[in-house]
Amino acid sequence: MKLTRREFSAGLAAGLAAPALMRSAWAQGATIKIGMCVPVTGPAAEQGLWAQNGAKLALAAVNKAGGVLGKQVELVIEDDQTTNPGIVLAFSKLAAQSDIVAFLGSIRSTQVQAMAPDVIKVGKPVMIGGTNPDLTHSGNPWLFRFRPNDNYSGRVIADFGVNTLGKKKWAIVHSTDAFGTAGGKALTEALTKLGAPPVLDQGYANQSQDFTPVVLAVKQSGADVLGTYFTFENDLGIFARQLRQLGVNIPWVGSPSVVAVSSTKLAGPALFGTYGVADFAEDSSDTAKAFGKSYRDAYKTAPDNQSAWPYDAITILSAAINKAGSTDPNKIRDAILATQKFAGAEGEYNFDKNGDGLHGYNVVKNDKGKIVYDKHIDFND
Amino acid sequence: MDLVLQLLFTGIGIGAVYALVALGFVLIFRATNVVNFAQGEFSMVAAYLMVVFSVDLGWPYWLSFLIALAGMALFGVIFNLGVYYPLRHRTYLPVIIATIGASILLSNSVLAIYGPQPQVLQGWFDTPGIQLGPVYLDSQYLLIIGVTILLVLFNFWFFERTLLGKKLQATSQDKEMASLLGISVSTMIMITFIYSAVLGGLAGILVAPVLFVSIQMGSTIALKAFAATIIGGFGDVAGAIVGGLALGVIETFGAAYISVPYKDGFAFLVLIAFLVFRPQGIFGERVAEKA
Repeated sequence: MKLTRREFSAGLAAGLAAPALMRSAWAQGATIKIGMCVPVTGPAAEQGLWAQNGAKLALAAVNKAGGVLGKQVELVIEDDQTTNPGIVLAFSKLAAQSDIVAFLGSIRSTQVQAMAPDVIKVGKPVMIGGTNPDLTHSGNPWLFRFRPNDNYSGRVIADFGVNTLGKKKWAIVHSTDAFGTAGGKALTEALTKLGAPPVLDQGYANQSQDFTPVVLAVKQSGADVLGTYFTFENDLGIFARQLRQLGVNIPWVGSPSVVAVSSTKLAGPALFGTYGVADFAEDSSDTAKAFGKSYRDAYKTAPDNQSAWPYDAITILSAAINKAGSTDPNKIRDAILATQKFAGAEGEYNFDKNGDGLHGYNVVKNDKGKIVYDKHIDFND
Repeated sequence: MDLVLQLLFTGIGIGAVYALVALGFVLIFRATNVVNFAQGEFSMVAAYLMVVFSVDLGWPYWLSFLIALAGMALFGVIFNLGVYYPLRHRTYLPVIIATIGASILLSNSVLAIYGPQPQVLQGWFDTPGIQLGPVYLDSQYLLIIGVTILLVLFNFWFFERTLLGKKLQATSQDKEMASLLGISVSTMIMITFIYSAVLGGLAGILVAPVLFVSIQMGSTIALKAFAATIIGGFGDVAGAIVGGLALGVIETFGAAYISVPYKDGFAFLVLIAFLVFRPQGIFGERVAEKA
């Protein structure tokens, strides 16, 4: 066989063009990728699993409904080891993959704080569950929050305790990490505004094996109501048991961990009768009920906020990318911020200019081990 | 005064937990001259064994307890053969690193098998505790303190009054001399690993109803226990017990009277003070450097 000069050049041109053509064909057939930094190991590995469950459930629903921009959505999971260096590493690994269009960050404020500078550098939207108010109020345009921030939890705890329970002598117990400190501060401010400044403000370090000194401080303060911000469920379990053993039985209104499924299981009767603010309450809306049902069907256990926010984040993010009609970060950002009156599992999303989607909390009660919905308190500002 | 008594009780209770784990550290250190950084994971593994037998399989508590301890003895054999024995002729460094590796392997294996959810293990007694005047005595802590006292007596009897104990002591003091006297050094080291695994396991099973059963339960206790062994004097059995109890009491009182958030800080402040002013610990003998 003889090759003419024309055939040779045509062949050469085709050969040169092939990789580029193949790449563009491959890109069109490929998936839309969303990165997720989540604890697979470390103290919050338990909660990380729930978060993955929630995200995967939403992903399945999105893909079943036709995906995003006509493509299937794929979740790329990276272990953040429940540590700050861990999430920085996890995020940089994900950010290096240029085809990832947006990310899910942590539910832990301290981790979001650690990764925040890199988030600005990368310049792509990151959905977060951390509730420290500062996260979305420090001029970082790429953080979008799918849980109400602690300004609201503090205000709801204070409002419920003072106005509904009629208690004015507060003891506050909080973790000394970013989440607990901000929560304790927000609660103190809200109580002071309601004319009931706390009589005790007690911090503790995470992973304490013993809470006797904390319980005795609460007992000695003469408080008639307890407000708490606990980060880890096993800390909460140990504290709750020792609180009851040492005879402290005052009403207790706490942050979401008080009514989390695993705390309820670990602490047992020690948490009966406690109130908690919960961004997720299964009976609070039809969307929440529907989410609860599909979660139960898929995982044979009740969901909580750990799985509800990633579920909403994936749902809203996918809708936003579809609405933006492109994976351009700025267009996705605008579309998320334009999301209003969107019924999610956590509540009705009305994004404000800071990137906060929710502005209120449910109050729920531990009724002999069963978490029952009590009331929803929303704020407009 | 009520407050002091209550704090003293919890301090001693949590200190006894540190002491039990510290004892495991000390025994292995004496026999092999290395620190076993997987000692905390021994406790964790035993607590999970207990959950498997008593919660998942629903076997009686005492039976589960015995089987879990027997399991720990077997675990000690495997640990010795897998981690220490192949490296026994090397310096202490590879062995220490091997124990760190084993600790990571163990916690992640349990994580892979059992998942990350903390588990609940019931206490030995049905009554959660006794109100003695103004002081509440948690029954599980009472049990822990009781077991610690028994173990102190047992260790004294075992190491000072039995032939096996004396052989173990001889091995830890001078391996060459011991083998010249016809003592099988590797058997003695094997026995030490078995005993340490059972002790660590006992600590884990006893503390599980108080702290819950979780992957990281061992490492948090082991860190304090390690500090306790240094305070007590590395390599000294009585030192481990006294160091553990002292640490528990100091951090509890420090938390109550000075600052709760810095509770762990007090433990390590004491550790640093000892390292600076009395590195041989309370009971340790001064080791002179030979020129």
